[in-house]
Amino acid sequence: MSTFVVNGRTVTAEENKKLLRFLRDDLGLTSVKDGCSEGACGACTVIIDGVICKACVPDTDNLEGRNIVTVEGLSDWEKEMYTFAYGEAGAVQCGFCIPGMVMCTKALLDKNPDPTEEEMRYAIRNNYCRCTGYVKIIDAIRLAARIKRTGVIPKPSNDDWKIGSRVHRIDVEEKVLGTGKYPDDYYMEGMLYGSALRSKYPRARVLSIDTSAARTLPGVAAVLTAEDIPGENKIGHLKHDQYTLIPVGGLVHYLGDAIALVAAESREILERAKKLIKVEYQVLPAIHNIQEAGVAGAPRVFDQEKDNICAYKHISRGDAEGEISRAKHVISRHFETPWTEHAFLEPECAVSYIDQDGDVFIYSTDQSAHQTLHECCMALGTDKVKVQNALVGGGFGGKEDMTVQHHAALLTYVTRRPVKVKLTRAESLLIHPKRHHFEMDFTMGCDENGIIKGVKAKVYTDTGAFASLGGPVLERACTHAAGPYNYQNFEIEGTAYYTNNPPAGAFRGFGVTQTCFATESLLNMMAEEIGITPWEIRYRNAIRPGQVLPNGQIVDESTGLVETLEAVKPYYDEAIAAGKPAGLGCAMKNAGVGVGIPDTGRVKLMVGDDEKVHIFSGASCIGQGLGTVLVQMMVSNTDLDRDDIVYERSNTWISPDSGTTSGSRQTLITGEACRRACEKLMEDRRSGLSLRQMKGRTYYGEYLAKTDPLGADVPNPVSHVAYGYATQLCILDKSTGRIEHMIAAHDVGKAVNPLSCEGQIEGGVVMSMGYALRERYPIDGNCKPIEKYGSLGLFRAHELPRITALVIDKPGLKVACGAIGIGEITSIPTAPAIADAYYRLDGERRYSLPLCNTPYEREE
Amino acid sequence: MAIKKKFPYKAAFVACNGGCRAGECKYGCMGCGACVDACRFGAITLNGYGVAEADEEKCIGCGMCARACTQGIIRVLQSACNIAVKCSNRDKGAEARRQCEVSCIGCGICERACTAGAIRVKDNCAVIDEERCLSCGMCAVKCPRGAIRDLRGILTPKD
Repeated sequence: MSTFVVNGRTVTAEENKKLLRFLRDDLGLTSVKDGCSEGACGACTVIIDGVICKACVPDTDNLEGRNIVTVEGLSDWEKEMYTFAYGEAGAVQCGFCIPGMVMCTKALLDKNPDPTEEEMRYAIRNNYCRCTGYVKIIDAIRLAARIKRTGVIPKPSNDDWKIGSRVHRIDVEEKVLGTGKYPDDYYMEGMLYGSALRSKYPRARVLSIDTSAARTLPGVAAVLTAEDIPGENKIGHLKHDQYTLIPVGGLVHYLGDAIALVAAESREILERAKKLIKVEYQVLPAIHNIQEAGVAGAPRVFDQEKDNICAYKHISRGDAEGEISRAKHVISRHFETPWTEHAFLEPECAVSYIDQDGDVFIYSTDQSAHQTLHECCMALGTDKVKVQNALVGGGFGGKEDMTVQHHAALLTYVTRRPVKVKLTRAESLLIHPKRHHFEMDFTMGCDENGIIKGVKAKVYTDTGAFASLGGPVLERACTHAAGPYNYQNFEIEGTAYYTNNPPAGAFRGFGVTQTCFATESLLNMMAEEIGITPWEIRYRNAIRPGQVLPNGQIVDESTGLVETLEAVKPYYDEAIAAGKPAGLGCAMKNAGVGVGIPDTGRVKLMVGDDEKVHIFSGASCIGQGLGTVLVQMMVSNTDLDRDDIVYERSNTWISPDSGTTSGSRQTLITGEACRRACEKLMEDRRSGLSLRQMKGRTYYGEYLAKTDPLGADVPNPVSHVAYGYATQLCILDKSTGRIEHMIAAHDVGKAVNPLSCEGQIEGGVVMSMGYALRERYPIDGNCKPIEKYGSLGLFRAHELPRITALVIDKPGLKVACGAIGIGEITSIPTAPAIADAYYRLDGERRYSLPLCNTPYEREE
Repeated sequence: MAIKKKFPYKAAFVACNGGCRAGECKYGCMGCGACVDACRFGAITLNGYGVAEADEEKCIGCGMCARACTQGIIRVLQSACNIAVKCSNRDKGAEARRQCEVSCIGCGICERACTAGAIRVKDNCAVIDEERCLSCGMCAVKCPRGAIRDLRGILTPKD
């Protein structure tokens, strides 16, 4: 027992526990986020006796007499100041790290009112942020310091909410002050804690499951096995190949497969109960990699499949083989890229309960509430389910698949009580699908002027334990492997293999991050062979409006690759003139799912009793700022003010399904649906109706992004409604061998909110600096990931180079007021640009990631 | 003497708790005072246990004391890393335990507790990699010997 002060109030912790648990569970201070409970992430940072401390570390018994401050304990002036500073700087994306960052800011400024740039970076160096790349958080600290010194909070620099304005995001306050709720922040009367017992082996047959001891443990409310599932046992994002619970006789696919589900009155009883479940396995040899998976007669990951091939794609246009054989310059190389973990700050969590209609109601953190609904309905065998998006603490593709939602729903369905299922960070690292490991063989042929004549490639991917989005990722990797260039002979063959490794699926860039590394690296080598600069070879080959991409699509007037090249040119020339090693990479990325798959955006505008227009759309904001985009869309396309508009988080009973937050699609697809709904609303406005008179009316907008399927029998298929283009430049400091400056120029069509757009770019660049230089996700002989959150190699604030985000506004796209999604492309050209810069430094070409022999490399 | 320190600050750190007042530990501080003499800033003194201790405020991280230390147990650490192993005993567990009440016994609990892969037991003694350390202090609160310290005195007692 100990007594200490929290936010000015004296409290007594009767039972010894981690401070984090005491603050959240006993005091209800949910600004203190639980991102890992292992001291890594920093989301639970609080101030103890004036210094920052991660609340998951100290035991309450050791805090006698201490004085603890959380965001809830800030003065009103401080709350206002930090909200303004973080909003004005654009520092808030998913928001999960922000209360911890605010605590770091306060601790710094309380001691040092005028910190230097480096002091600010060091103040947050032990806290991770996966969205922002820290750049705008540091801007926020600088601004907060100035406000604190002057004592005056200025007016926002932009208060016009039209498209193109750098307004503060709509969710800044709730994220800075920690009042906004992620699923883990819901605590309910009588709430149980649920968790799954996972397999002990990556590949094994379950022979028996004995839950009797666990069932009789006092405090256990339910123990479920496969036979207790009322609906379908198998779910899956596209292919239903993932057991919710492995049945007796069923085959385990990886260490994350769940065998039994337990709900208990406390976390401690839950863990004890899981240990009491006895499972008998027939252990079988596992498939560890692509090579083992591809051997004839190899053990199969799935009983029902004839081999371990998840997907095969063959794309061919023109005569790549022939053109390459006739080309003056030909280069062939083998490339490899690693597994990557999303490392979003908020681990997967769902809270479910039985609502007043008798439905299973799920608070979910996901990339599509409707997808969650669909899969949970399947598992429960009923459509009496509702899903509400809580705040989502980052996704990056890793929250597209079900992880905890169906488990929570099942436990609530059986117990009729509220249940919280949350993954530990170790479970999260194991369970959600990762970025695919790729092995690639590429050949490029060019003429004497460096004009690409043809590219031919073979790629192999390890898609792990179930299909997830392994097929579409492979497809996008293949379709975009050609690069954003004007040539007509391209052939690629891709194969995705199942293994008993953790699953691989969607991750920012969706396969293109991998093949782009190969294509762009070859182009850099080709430039050298021909004797022109990497910039020049790109400028000569760059796709321009009206030209035809290697996939046959004629690109429209909005195509801005050349503009991004021109934007980085002054930086490039200056670096070269100064003798600094500089490397370039270009990329294109679709906005929208494309390739003939129905891709629909839907928005419903409802005028409520409060005489405000509420935006309902079944589209998840996973931190990128969709709500702000839709509000700006509305202000631009109606005569309404910002204050007349309320953005509602996605749900499944009012918000119409607007597809998954994936493929950089929401700004464009849902944005256009919103614009169309605005048109209808304006008909009433033009007829003179006031919002009071419009009360109860609904305006519906829908947009189907129509595209042609792959291999469509038309001369110039439209694969995607829009592409974003980018050029990134990496400049190294010759003396340290570290990155001095990253310049990222992105053609985004019309930037809805340039501040958010820059935030996306900075975050994407820093994320891919990790991918290029340090991040690893090694898997051991038992198919188990080795690293913990803190050892993944994510970049920290004090290690950052200067980052310049150049937002290129280029009009031309006819939908969504010209806005093209930015989410993924920010991460794509980074790795090849960095690789080429290192070649310029030391003359060593590197064909695999993370790059070896750099100062960022870590010993294993 | 006022010396303008350059950020990020560095300061000397004596990797010995001074727990073995009997002087049985052959790795720890012997209280010879060579470091005290070497320091031009008065930043190192012998504490109540007769063991050298650096004052972070006065220290500029020049490393003169580290070079003077005959035991080789003074390190210059980044001040931003506030978690440190205050022991240099390289004897095996049982022997290290016998010699000192706050010695590192190389049990490896810290290694397993570390999320960052930043702490490793080398020659029976834990060593922190400053580049990787996230300064969370999980190793310090889990250390059964009190050999790992939070230099700010929050997670572990200051002395």
